[in-house]
Amino acid sequence: MHMSGQTAFTGAAKTGPTLISLKDVVVDFATRDRVVRAVDGISLDMPEGGFTALVGPSGCGKSTVLNMVAGLLKPSAGSVTFEGRPVDGPNTRVGYMTQKDTLLPWRTVEDNVGIAFELRCRRSERGDKAARVAEMIERVGLKGFEKHFPSELSGGMRKRAALARMLIYKPSTLLLDEPFGALDAQLRLIMQKELLELVDASGMTVVLVTHDLEEAVSLADKVVVFTSRPGRIRAVRDIPIPRPRDPATLRFTDAFRDHCAALWDELRDEVAAAMATPHA
Amino acid sequence: MRDTRGRFELPGPAVWALRLAVLVALIAGWQAASGTLLPVFYISSPAKVLEVLQRWLADGSIWKHVWATVLVLFSGYAIGAAIGIAAGLWLGLNPRTERLLQPFIAALFGLPKMALLPLLVIVFGIGFASKVVLVASVVVFLLLFATLSGVRDIDRDMVESLRLMGATEGELTRKVRMPAILPWVYTGLRTSIGYALTTTVVSEALQSNRGLGFLIEHAAVSFNAAGVFAAVVVLLVLSMAIMLPLGALEARMRPVRL
Repeated sequence: MHMSGQTAFTGAAKTGPTLISLKDVVVDFATRDRVVRAVDGISLDMPEGGFTALVGPSGCGKSTVLNMVAGLLKPSAGSVTFEGRPVDGPNTRVGYMTQKDTLLPWRTVEDNVGIAFELRCRRSERGDKAARVAEMIERVGLKGFEKHFPSELSGGMRKRAALARMLIYKPSTLLLDEPFGALDAQLRLIMQKELLELVDASGMTVVLVTHDLEEAVSLADKVVVFTSRPGRIRAVRDIPIPRPRDPATLRFTDAFRDHCAALWDELRDEVAAAMATPHA
Repeated sequence: MRDTRGRFELPGPAVWALRLAVLVALIAGWQAASGTLLPVFYISSPAKVLEVLQRWLADGSIWKHVWATVLVLFSGYAIGAAIGIAAGLWLGLNPRTERLLQPFIAALFGLPKMALLPLLVIVFGIGFASKVVLVASVVVFLLLFATLSGVRDIDRDMVESLRLMGATEGELTRKVRMPAILPWVYTGLRTSIGYALTTTVVSEALQSNRGLGFLIEHAAVSFNAAGVFAAVVVLLVLSMAIMLPLGALEARMRPVRL
């Protein structure tokens, strides 16, 4: 891995101890008549407190990487470690927001958001839980929808409810799979800013999967570009833009544009390759 | 009144009035045909049936039979449903066991349970227990299959997302799996009550000395057509008393699923 950022910037390019480590990871999926290689030899270290974005064309295995870190999927070869230990079974140290929202359809927004507090492992937590639920719902802009069922919300609202449900119990690591994909452009900027504030304040480690290059550059301090399937790492670029950042204004700066342009150079070929491959 | 497509539709009260008219016409036709078109011996007549019903209500003898039927029905139904739901949930969570037992379950499900009654009478006697077991054996499979389908339909990601939050297996079952299969279980409960009632009544007719099934059979072997019809009317009222609240409950539960 190469350091392409300038060290003149401070407050970025965090170098905590390695929290998540993938080593020569290979993932094969068996389909009906053949074996498809989704991930082909990925090695990647993510430091504690770091914000890593994984970008690449669809079907390149980005989500597969998150599933492995969450412990929902075992690599076919290679190793995935978390805090130095191999991930073996569901990793309860992470908060995982999947691409598909997994809100419970028979619970209202507030009951969905507060569900973490109903679990035994968190029942003894102190403080006014109802107030925390209300505050989190307000933070994601769902005030007034507390009593609504998921089926009564738009796709973007469901995403925000899912985000609130995850953030409320303050997991030390967040795995986010296209968290803002369903939001309109303005709301997306607001939510990105909210996320950055929360992450910066709490020192959470974040792994973000997105196909939006600008989102990756404005949020992350390391962007990893994947090749089209089978997924390999094509490039890693540090984004040493200082924090706190405001995604809404950041995109008008030269540094931001330079990073995007450099990453787009890498990504362009892969997107073309992915489009040329059927079923990508 | 017109519906959204502009077709003419009767208002609610008018529909009910028409239904009542149909009922009255049927009873009047029955009364008129009795003794003229067909012999009273076979079809009795509404007046005679009413007479029998009045006698049963006056001396209170009907309640013993209604109570016997209700007791067998709900005991068997409750036991069968409880076992069926538990087994469905367990098999759903243990797919390997499910695969192993699948042919046995299918074979037992396909077996007409009524054929077991003589055997059950030998084991449990002619009274209450043998019929309860029979009804339960019918209900258990319907609930087992309904629950199993429900468990298979559970969104895996929903379970995994809560597991990552630190939920234990018990919590996953209580907070995700059970609410998720509720609509399936409910459908199973609703469809199986009809089978349970049929099984109860037929088993009473075959081997019993009380219950509405016994009452029908007893009247029939004494060539008492009015008694048969009267018992059928009581059965009709009983089944409506059971089914109508279930329908109302379903209407109330539906918005939860969406």
